[in-house]
Amino acid sequence: MLIQDVMRFPVVTVEPGVTLEEAYRLLLERGIRHLPVMEEGRLVGIITDRDIRLATSHLNPRGPCPGCTRVAEVMTQEVVTAHPLDPVEEAARVMRERKIGSLPVLEDGALVGIVTGIDLLDALLKLTGVTEPSGRLEVRLPDRVGELARLTGFLAGRGINIHSLLSYPEDKEVVRAVVRVNTLETHLLAEGLRQEGFEVLWPPKKPW
Amino acid sequence: MVIYRDEYRLYNFGPGHPFSPVRLEMLTSLLQALGVWKEPLAPREATREEVLSVHSERLVRRVEAASRGERVPDLEHYGLGTGDTPVFPGMDRAARILVGGTLEGARRILAGEKRVLQLGGGLHHAQYDRSSGFCVYNDLSVAIRHLTRAGLRVAYLDIDVHHGDGVQWIHYEEEEVLTLSLHESGRYLFPGTGHVHEIGRGEGVGRKLNLPLEPFTEDESYLEAFEALVPWALGAFRPDVLVVQAGADAHFLDPLADLLLTTRAYARIFPLILDYAEAYAGGRVLFTLGGGYSLDATVRVWALLYHVFHGLPLPERLPEGWLREWEGRLGQPLTPTLHDPHAPYPEIPRRQEIEKRNRLTLERLMELLRSHLVH
Repeated sequence: MLIQDVMRFPVVTVEPGVTLEEAYRLLLERGIRHLPVMEEGRLVGIITDRDIRLATSHLNPRGPCPGCTRVAEVMTQEVVTAHPLDPVEEAARVMRERKIGSLPVLEDGALVGIVTGIDLLDALLKLTGVTEPSGRLEVRLPDRVGELARLTGFLAGRGINIHSLLSYPEDKEVVRAVVRVNTLETHLLAEGLRQEGFEVLWPPKKPW
Repeated sequence: MVIYRDEYRLYNFGPGHPFSPVRLEMLTSLLQALGVWKEPLAPREATREEVLSVHSERLVRRVEAASRGERVPDLEHYGLGTGDTPVFPGMDRAARILVGGTLEGARRILAGEKRVLQLGGGLHHAQYDRSSGFCVYNDLSVAIRHLTRAGLRVAYLDIDVHHGDGVQWIHYEEEEVLTLSLHESGRYLFPGTGHVHEIGRGEGVGRKLNLPLEPFTEDESYLEAFEALVPWALGAFRPDVLVVQAGADAHFLDPLADLLLTTRAYARIFPLILDYAEAYAGGRVLFTLGGGYSLDATVRVWALLYHVFHGLPLPERLPEGWLREWEGRLGQPLTPTLHDPHAPYPEIPRRQEIEKRNRLTLERLMELLRSHLVH
């Protein structure tokens, strides 16, 4: 899944000379939290609702002046951006590491979209397959070649369509695989998997 | 009034499939052996147009083509030809016969009948544009739409262990349909939906209720939630009729799910539903069957429903001849009594935590719905 699959466009932007009051009104009207700042078609900064609230707070020593402070005085410069062909996980990592809530998306210097934490949550929902009617299997696998193939091969043999398959390391030797499958019969699958030697964490085996 | 015809058993995904017509054969033969079987009303099959009252033309076309054995390349997009809902010859008609039964129930209610028990149907996963989870057409929604088109307010109560997603989505924006589903949480279990925050959209906001229960929920906790939630919702909504999907797969023996109800819970639930129908829906109630994949448990639960429905005293032991015949046919022992034995499964170590979480879920749901449902 790439940034271009989840980004929003067209992007609502402001110019550096706009007052904080005007920028804030724009955020409220559009129901958004991030405004890339554009000057002559070039991205020169970004301002968020939080920047505006901090800048205009009574606690701010410079005092609140939403009508006389300009975006250029408050905006963050040297904006961290993404490219439409970046993978979504790359965007998630950058946002997490830099502790930022959005990435303007640039292509050949032009602003073509924006991706926010919300868009990444949507991407996550889609990646986990929960938007399709499905049941969930959780399996512990040795972290070595061919184990996932063995698992998916088993499901294919039972005619089961996989909506999503996520795996993550539990420790150095073990991987957890979370599979969303198009079936009511996850218990029967779990039984079959156990008989094949898989360690199934969910659904559990009933002791009766 | 009971609605049934033997052709319900044509709805058959083949040997080894859990949604087995053997359940109906066992149930009706048990009721006969117990001497309580009364000749039911045989419904006609639903027409194509009746099915189209809730389903898309393109889904129906594909079901029809697949039923005739034609190859349909995009069948899986419509939820068919999958492991759960494979195609079989005559599937369209078999599904329409089940729809016809539930629809006949709705007609009878409109004609003045108070209580109807449809011994089939309950195909609550089928959606507008997609078959799903053993369910080709949604008989419940066809019946509900028939009732709302006649001007009735319908409360739909779903006690199947799986979320009643198809019915919920089809009526998601309708003010005159309350859907209320108690089910095992969709965190792990099919279809993955049925969260407390799914409360309807547009005109339907506040009219869709979901109580997702923890895996390994037992009788007491289930009943506590049921008795708090159902009369509260019905009392606020004031329906004209109650439509009940009485799936039996919340029973502890069920092979597909993890709730731990015993027959004693069902012996409480069914009379309560009749009481609630009296108190909040003018006594009008239409029951259908639904899921239930342990033959042993499902047949006893539905036999119990049949007795409660008719106000008959519950038998203790099941008839010897019937037991011998079916143990022979299935090659497995059956519970010889209508009720489960006492303490039929080991103690659940997480019981208190489960009860606590269920209470919390119930509180969240009622908090979320309070402003919508009660004015």
